[in-house]
Formats: sequence, structure tokens, C-alpha cells
Amino acid sequence: MRVGNAVGRHALLIAAVVLMLLPVVWGLSTSFKPLSTIYDMSPIPWPGSLENYQAALGRYAIGRLLLNTLVMAAGVTVANILVALPAAYALVRFEKARGRGLMLGAVGAALLIPPQALIIPQFLLTTQFGWQGNPIGLIIPQLGTSALAVLLLRDHIRALPPSLIGAAILEGATPLEILWHVVLGLLRPALGAVSILLFINTWNEYLWPLLVMPNPEDTTIQPGLALFTGPENPQYGPLLAAAMLASLPVVTIYVLASRRIADAFLHSGLR
Amino acid sequence: MTSAKLIESPVPGAENAPPAGVLLDGVSKRFDSGRAALDVASLHVPSGSLTVFVGPSGCGKTTALRIVSGLEEPTAGRVLIDGTDVTHAPPGRRGVSMVFQDFALYPHMTVERNISFGLRLAAKHRSESGLDSAEIERRVTQACESLGLTALRRRRPGQLSGGERQRVGLARAIVRRPKVLLLDEPLSALDAQLRQQARAELVRLHRELGNTVVLVTHDQLEALSMATHLVVLSKGHVLQAGSPAEVYRRPQDEFVATFLGSPPMNLATVTVHDTGDRLTAPGLGARLPRPLRGVPAEVRLGWRPGDGTLRHTEAPGLVADGVVDLVEFTGDAMIAQCTGDSGRWAVTVPANDPVPAAGEPVRVHVPAERLHLFDPATGMRLEA
Repeated sequence: MRVGNAVGRHALLIAAVVLMLLPVVWGLSTSFKPLSTIYDMSPIPWPGSLENYQAALGRYAIGRLLLNTLVMAAGVTVANILVALPAAYALVRFEKARGRGLMLGAVGAALLIPPQALIIPQFLLTTQFGWQGNPIGLIIPQLGTSALAVLLLRDHIRALPPSLIGAAILEGATPLEILWHVVLGLLRPALGAVSILLFINTWNEYLWPLLVMPNPEDTTIQPGLALFTGPENPQYGPLLAAAMLASLPVVTIYVLASRRIADAFLHSGLR
Repeated sequence: MTSAKLIESPVPGAENAPPAGVLLDGVSKRFDSGRAALDVASLHVPSGSLTVFVGPSGCGKTTALRIVSGLEEPTAGRVLIDGTDVTHAPPGRRGVSMVFQDFALYPHMTVERNISFGLRLAAKHRSESGLDSAEIERRVTQACESLGLTALRRRRPGQLSGGERQRVGLARAIVRRPKVLLLDEPLSALDAQLRQQARAELVRLHRELGNTVVLVTHDQLEALSMATHLVVLSKGHVLQAGSPAEVYRRPQDEFVATFLGSPPMNLATVTVHDTGDRLTAPGLGARLPRPLRGVPAEVRLGWRPGDGTLRHTEAPGLVADGVVDLVEFTGDAMIAQCTGDSGRWAVTVPANDPVPAAGEPVRVHVPAERLHLFDPATGMRLEA
């Protein structure tokens, strides 16, 4: 019975993995096929060619788009952490402050609002501020995602031994000094994990960059990929090459840090 | 912000000057659930003493310590340190420091940065009156030397053993020269062998520094051996305070009598005869040198296992019969656990005395001056 269950479970998992990996593997293989064999059903790109990558990086200036995306993702991540860390700390440290429950509820509620619902007001606001086509307009509205970061960091701060904070209070440290000298030092692993999550999320953002940065040269990689599906023939080869390049940083980060990301969730109450 | 209030405010209405040391005056602490964790009329820690708060878990001893530190605010009452009302003073301005049960060392700082943390903060807060870096360095060096940490200064807490961490916690607490040093079960995280050593170390440190030390523990042996002043707490109340010998020899209450001492005091319910000088229960009888007056018809009679002897004697006192169940070897002596007609009792058999075998009937004699009597209703001590 047990064994049967285990076999069934594994079969299910394997099927799910194949289903998820197949398009990725197919895309990877196709990105190495020259135009002549691109519609082949052969899973192995042989003889392979780099002409799609040359086209993506040369004709379509993918390098520039990747750089833009990097700036956006890094900017959003740093800004989010700068907002979320003090917020999370305050929610823990001033446990008895009036209105704390309300604040916490508001942060939780912010998680429930779908980002698409905010698109129109945010678009109107950035237009009024004159932030259209401006990296600031690209970054600032994405601080809305910090609700998740606040909750994750709050859980991590709560999990710190209370005696460490107590010791610092007894030594006369102010709340801000405790945040800076004690909490920040202890929270480094959690901050790393939350930063990675934010970075990956932001890297994959499509809709907002498309709205604020419509100019094909200034936009980020995700809307940039749409450049390849012109009104005429879609450029499948260069498109897939660019898609592979676009996911490379995220995959690399994930492979290097998946343990940390899992830990960030496991050590917090949110699962 | 409350520093102005800190400076003056002598105790109003006190007949004599407020006592030096720490005083919890009518302090109570209720948690949000309504449960009273602490409710004391007066709890005094004499200046310069090594006072131990002892009691079973949940007795309020840690709450009392945290109220002194300021990490916990009392629901009612005042906290005085050397006559100054610090009830609402921020913890960092009370002149107290604390060693936590888990030592609470900052894992990302080296030993020396852990120790100097508070001094560096103070220097930054009060740039003119604070210590300069040379003085901080001198004090850290001194604290490290006094606790044998000099070789470990550049290590991080993660690279230290339990005993070393405890010493770093102590160094961090004493480097600020606190008026009152608070120790929250500082030995419980150490293994047994190290604990003995650390106990001696704490006593030595207290003698050297000469400041007021409050130590919290649930270990009655630790409490008896280290304290110069002992406070026994139970269910949030102070049951008895005094020197360890006094509290051990004249427990004011049945709980104190059984809590202190290992094995605990034997107790039996006995009937007081009309003459007042004879107490009996099945299997035991006691003759007192002076008759009891004004006591209930039945009282609780207590005697410590170490005060009994299996040797025959004609002196007034207790004689109890029983059968040996079990003989425990403790190294210096044997403890015979016996069953009598009025319940179980234990007696310590000195190393050179003949040891009874299990199943053997024995008769124990306890001199009258070593007997304790308690009111069965209130548990309070009755004076013979």
C-alpha cells in the first residue's frame, strides 16, 4: 500500500516535471537551430548554429534591454527592502502600539489586491508626475509588491531570540540602533532570500514596463521579447534565443540560491 | 526623556531613608490574560548582596527580575534602585545590566565588540560625557582579563563553548559597571561539571565587584550555595526572605520547607495530645521539651532527612518506625527511603554508620530542636 502510494506519487511528480520542462527544453533546442531547420521536429539541434543569438544581440540590441531590466530589478529590490525592513521591524518592535493590528491588516490586505487592478490609477499618477519614460516611474510604483517582503521579514524578525533585542535595550540602544546594529546583522540570510525573490519577480515583470517604457530601446526584456513577433513573420529563432538569454540570470540565481529561497519561506510562518 | 525624573524623587513618607539596593514596593504584574505573574508587598534586595530569587517555574522570579531590569513594566507598584524611583525609567538608564539565560550574544559581532557594544553606544549618545575609545578599550581589556577571555577576543560567539559564551555574557554585563547585575538562570545552559565551576566564578566576581547581584534560579542547591540573601517565591508571592541558613533552618512555610533541601523534608500529619507535649501518628511519636499552646488538634510535623539518626537515643524528639524500601548511594552518605504507617520518609545514613538493607525495619530518632511544625490549614510555621 505504502509502496504503491509512493510509486503513484512519484509518477505524478515526474509527469508534472516533464510537462513543465518540455517547452523550456524545446525552446532551448530550437534557439540553436538555423532558420532552415527551425520547424524540424528533431529535438536535437544538429547541426547547431549561433546565428539566432547573433541576431538577437546584434540586430535587436537585446544586451541593452537586459541591462535596463537589471537596473529596474535591482532598483525595485533595493527600494522594496528599504521600505519593508523598517516596516517589518516596527510591526514587531512596537507590538503594543495603538493601531498596530490595523497596520498589519492593511499590509495583509495589500497582498490580496491583484496588481492589474492598480494599473490604471498608477498609470494616471505616473503620467501626472511626468514619470512616463522615466526609470523612476518604472521603479517607484512597483514598491507595491513590498507587502510580501514586509510579512516575510516580519516573521523572520519575530523568530529572532527576544533576549538579543532585550540585551540591546538594556544597553541603552534606541529602536533605530537596534535595527541597524542587531537586527540587520542577524537578518542577513533572510534579507538575501527576500531580495532574490523580489529580484526574480521584478525581472519577470511584463505589463508595467510595457506601459511606462513603450520605447523599444528603453524598455525591459520581457516586453522587449514582443519585438520579435512583428506583424509579419514571427522571428522564432532570435525570439527563442532572446528568451533564453532573458531567463539565464533568473535561472542562474535560482540554481545558486534555491536552498536560501526555500529557507526563507520555511523559517517564516508563510508557506 | 525621563532622565530629569530619574535624578530626584526620594521616597515620600518613608520613616527612615529608603533602603539601598533594589526594592520592589507593592509591585504586581498581570498579563493580558489576567493571570497575576507577580504580586509582592515588598521585595528587598540588600545593597551589595548576592540575592537569589528561587522558586519553581512560574513562580514569578523571572518576572521580578525583568521588572527590575525594565524590560517588563509592573501593572502596579514602584521599583526603587538605591532609593531612586525607576519605575518608568527606560531600561538603559537604570544602571542595571543583565546576563540572559541564553546569554544573548550578538552572533555577528566578535567577542570584544559584543562586550564593548553598550559602551560604544553610550559614547555615541553622550559624546562629551561618554567614554573615549581608549577608555573603552581599557575597560574591555580589563573585563576580558578578569574572565579569562583575552585569547578569545577576536572570535565570534558561534566559535565558543557554552562556558566561554557565559563568560562573554558576564563580561558584557560588568563592563558597564552596573549598580545592579541581573543574572537570569545563567548556569542552566551549562553542563553539570561546568556549572560547579561557573558557580564559584560568579561568587568570586561578586566579591571582587562588590555590587548588588540578583540571580534567578529554580535550582534550590544553587540558591542555597551561592546566595548571601535568599528570596523564595511561589505563585507570584514572596514566601520567605533571609540568609540561606536562616531560611533552611527555620522555613516559615511548608512549601519553603519542602522546596529547599534534597532530599526534601519529611512531613506527617500528627495529633497533638491534651498535655501539648506529645504528638502521635501511626508508627511515629514525638515528645517535645515544652508543651505546645494554642495549636490545632492536628498539625504537620516535619524533619529533614539529614537531621535523623538510626542510632538509639533517649533525648526528647521524634521516634518513627518504618521499613527500608530503597537505599540510595550519594557518595558522602546513603539515603534510606522508608515506608512507615503514616507515609514515606527518608533518612540520611552517614558514611561510617551501618547501612540497613532493603526490607529491614528501622527506627529513626530526630532531636526535638530539629523538628518543624506547620499549621495544616495555612501551611504556616507554628512556633513550639
